[in-house]
Amino acid sequence: MTDDEPGSSSLRPGLAAVALFGVLAAVVLGSASGFGDPVQFPAGESIVHNIGYALFDIDLGGIPTEGFLAAFLIIAIALDVALDSAVYLAKREDDGTIISALTDGGREIVDGDVAGAADREVTGSTETDETEQGGDR
Amino acid sequence: MVTAFDYVPAIVLLPFVSFVVALFVGKNMPKKGAYGGIAATAGSLLLSIWVLLSVRGGGAHQETYWTWAQGVGSQPFRLEFGALIDPLSALMLVIVTLIATLVHVFSLGYMNDEGERDLPRYYAGLGLFTASMLGFVIADNLLMAFMFFELVGLCSFLLIGFHFREPGPPSAAKKAFLVTRFGDYFFLVGVVAVFATFGTAAFAGAESFPALAEGALNGNVDVWTPGGLDTMTWFTVVGLLVLGGVVGKSAQFPLHTWLPDAMEGPTPVSALIHAATMVAAGVYLVARMYGFYVLTPTTMGVIALVGGFTALFAGTMGLVKEELKQVLAYSTISQYGYMMLGLGAGGYVAAVFHLTTHAFFKALLFLGAGSVIIAMHHNENMWDMGGLKDEMPVTYWTFLAGSLALAGIFPFAGFWSKDEILYEALIHGGSEPLLFAGYAMGLLAVPVTAFYTFRMVFLTFHGNARSEIARNPEPVRWNVKGPLSVLGVLAAVTGVINMVPVQKVLGIEGIDYLHLWLDNHWGGIEGLSSHHYAEIGPYSSTYPFGTEVATVLAGAAISLGLALAGLGLAWKLYNVAEPVEHTAKLGGAKELLYNNYYQDEFQVWLANRTRGLSGSADTFDQGVVDGVVNGVSSVSLLSGDRIKRIQTGVVGNYALLLTLSLTALLVVFALIGGWF
Amino acid sequence: MVPPEYYLLLSSGLFCIGLFGILTRRNALYFLMSVELMLNAANINLVAFSLYWGNLTGQTFALFAIALAAAEVAVGIGIILALYRNFGDVDVMAAATMRW
Repeated sequence: MTDDEPGSSSLRPGLAAVALFGVLAAVVLGSASGFGDPVQFPAGESIVHNIGYALFDIDLGGIPTEGFLAAFLIIAIALDVALDSAVYLAKREDDGTIISALTDGGREIVDGDVAGAADREVTGSTETDETEQGGDR
Repeated sequence: MVTAFDYVPAIVLLPFVSFVVALFVGKNMPKKGAYGGIAATAGSLLLSIWVLLSVRGGGAHQETYWTWAQGVGSQPFRLEFGALIDPLSALMLVIVTLIATLVHVFSLGYMNDEGERDLPRYYAGLGLFTASMLGFVIADNLLMAFMFFELVGLCSFLLIGFHFREPGPPSAAKKAFLVTRFGDYFFLVGVVAVFATFGTAAFAGAESFPALAEGALNGNVDVWTPGGLDTMTWFTVVGLLVLGGVVGKSAQFPLHTWLPDAMEGPTPVSALIHAATMVAAGVYLVARMYGFYVLTPTTMGVIALVGGFTALFAGTMGLVKEELKQVLAYSTISQYGYMMLGLGAGGYVAAVFHLTTHAFFKALLFLGAGSVIIAMHHNENMWDMGGLKDEMPVTYWTFLAGSLALAGIFPFAGFWSKDEILYEALIHGGSEPLLFAGYAMGLLAVPVTAFYTFRMVFLTFHGNARSEIARNPEPVRWNVKGPLSVLGVLAAVTGVINMVPVQKVLGIEGIDYLHLWLDNHWGGIEGLSSHHYAEIGPYSSTYPFGTEVATVLAGAAISLGLALAGLGLAWKLYNVAEPVEHTAKLGGAKELLYNNYYQDEFQVWLANRTRGLSGSADTFDQGVVDGVVNGVSSVSLLSGDRIKRIQTGVVGNYALLLTLSLTALLVVFALIGGWF
Repeated sequence: MVPPEYYLLLSSGLFCIGLFGILTRRNALYFLMSVELMLNAANINLVAFSLYWGNLTGQTFALFAIALAAAEVAVGIGIILALYRNFGDVDVMAAATMRW
């Protein structure tokens, strides 16, 4: 299996992963006492409903669980933060102004260049149609 | 009730305070620390006089101030600092503090008025020296004495090399330090031997090592000797080991070579350290340990022989010197030879008497030389002087008093003390060939001493002035003339403290004050008295001239006659208007004397012979010891250099390392925890 | 229920496949995908044992893990963008300046 880049690396480091799998498998299969009988969910209970009750700390379901309201709220905040940070990181910074990484009408945006920015449109330069190397690869 | 003995630590600490003050704030003081030094030493002098009067009033004192190491086990050692005040140390305290005070006053004239630089360092050095010397004097055990012995050696080094920007003084300081260090090495071995043998190094008391040694020789006490050596032999060896330090410090043959070179230091330093106090430390040490030394006749004989030989040997070298201080340096070596002769001959009181008088007249002579040097604008060559007696009367008369004392002319102080030493050597030397040899050499040194002393006086002060500076010498002030006058009077009258011949001849009792003083007549510590030493000593008296009185008179007459003969010869040769050098008359001996019997070259040659050994020691130190240390560090450096290469910066490598480590950990835990 | 050992084998196999991808892949995006695989392997484990113990905590926790994985990928993409801007290439092996 070759890699994506020309002059790719070898696969030899992957042997470490294989070795780890071997160790884990040996531990799992060779475990002395094995596992006991599973306690399955009580019949007739809706799993999804119970998950919902767990998320909001509502004491309605029949399946034992913990309350996850705090975690729920924290995850909400974390997701929000992640989204904002991703958008921020994606913006390009150029000559002190931050320029969005969006293309404009199919034009390619040069890496680190001001091409296609609002400034050029304002100045009315004729470079708006040039295609340059770069862009996200 | 406050006694003087409560203030004994202050005697040592006052000069130490002046040292600290001069060192740190001296440059802001008007006289750069001189007044502090004078105040401190004068304070110590007053306290010492009070102590002396207390001992006179019947007290003696021994106190331990600080136990700084306590041994454990079956034979516990105790290393401590303490003070021992008995007649001998009280006397020495007064001598040291008096001369230190006078030297400090003199330094105002010699150093401050001459515009010398770096004076705070000078006064700091003087203060530290005085404190160390006083600490040495009051030491109550051999180890403490050794420590202060080394301290005074250090101060001597610092002060000799005071003018360190010139080439001579630092070299002389180094030589002084190394030569005395060589002797101190044997001293240290001796101190350890004393501890190993007796378990204690205390000087006084029933449990002191002289008392234990006496008991061992009587068979009462068990002491350790190495390899089953005979007790007397071992004690002789220990005594000789300690004598190594004494020989070095008191500039006896063969370790005398440093003292003439030490004259590179300022003259007040020479007066204080290399005339009156530091070189006295060796002799004082033997006197302090006398109860131990008298038990071993061989060591006593060696001491007497070395002393007598040195007296003659150094005296002959003083005959041809051209510089004023050089003559005095050789004279010092010679006179300490007399003291050692006295000690070795069983004349404990005589030696201490000569120590006292010599301290006064030698300090006087050095200070007088300092006065002449100031006048001559630091030209020390006697052949450029002449005719100074009219220009500098105070200096002349006091110098003359000191010279008469040095030459041993009746009734000046030196006559009494030197005469008593020779007398003791004579009467104890009847059956001891070593002693008699020492006596003979000491006797021969008498005319030599008188000759070179008066050659010095006549060349310097008499005749016509031989150079322009001598015609118009620089005047000196009261701070020079004052100490000279005090010491001049002392040089003249100190003899009265122990006029033994007068007592014996005229039959008057009780005027030998020093004998009574050192005999614990007015109080003292048991076992440290002169009659005790005489009892346990090996000598018996024989009177070669029949009775005691006849021997006294004959001995005095012989030594006085020889001294006058020497004086007369010097008078004839040098007390003329235009003296000339007569050294050619010595013939072949002239080169030998000029070159100090080639002793300096010999010692350098000896030192060079040890190059092989020192070279291999150096190689061992640099190669093996430093090699090990460097090797340890290089292991660290090399391993760091190799291990840092793990940080390749490539994320994949880090991930690989993590995976492998995790796998390995799991395997280890699985094996240990029995997961399989 | 299928015996838990099989679930464990499945999740460890998936984990090691993800690890294999991390160790051998050079393109940063594939690297991120492999990380996703590893996270999901953990989720499988959580859910399996939720059934084994009869407690819903495992499944709820797995839900949160999925959400967090998404957040992490969002940030990771941003980092890859920064990587590209500084090194001109999304090859993870190319960014090797923080070395000895």
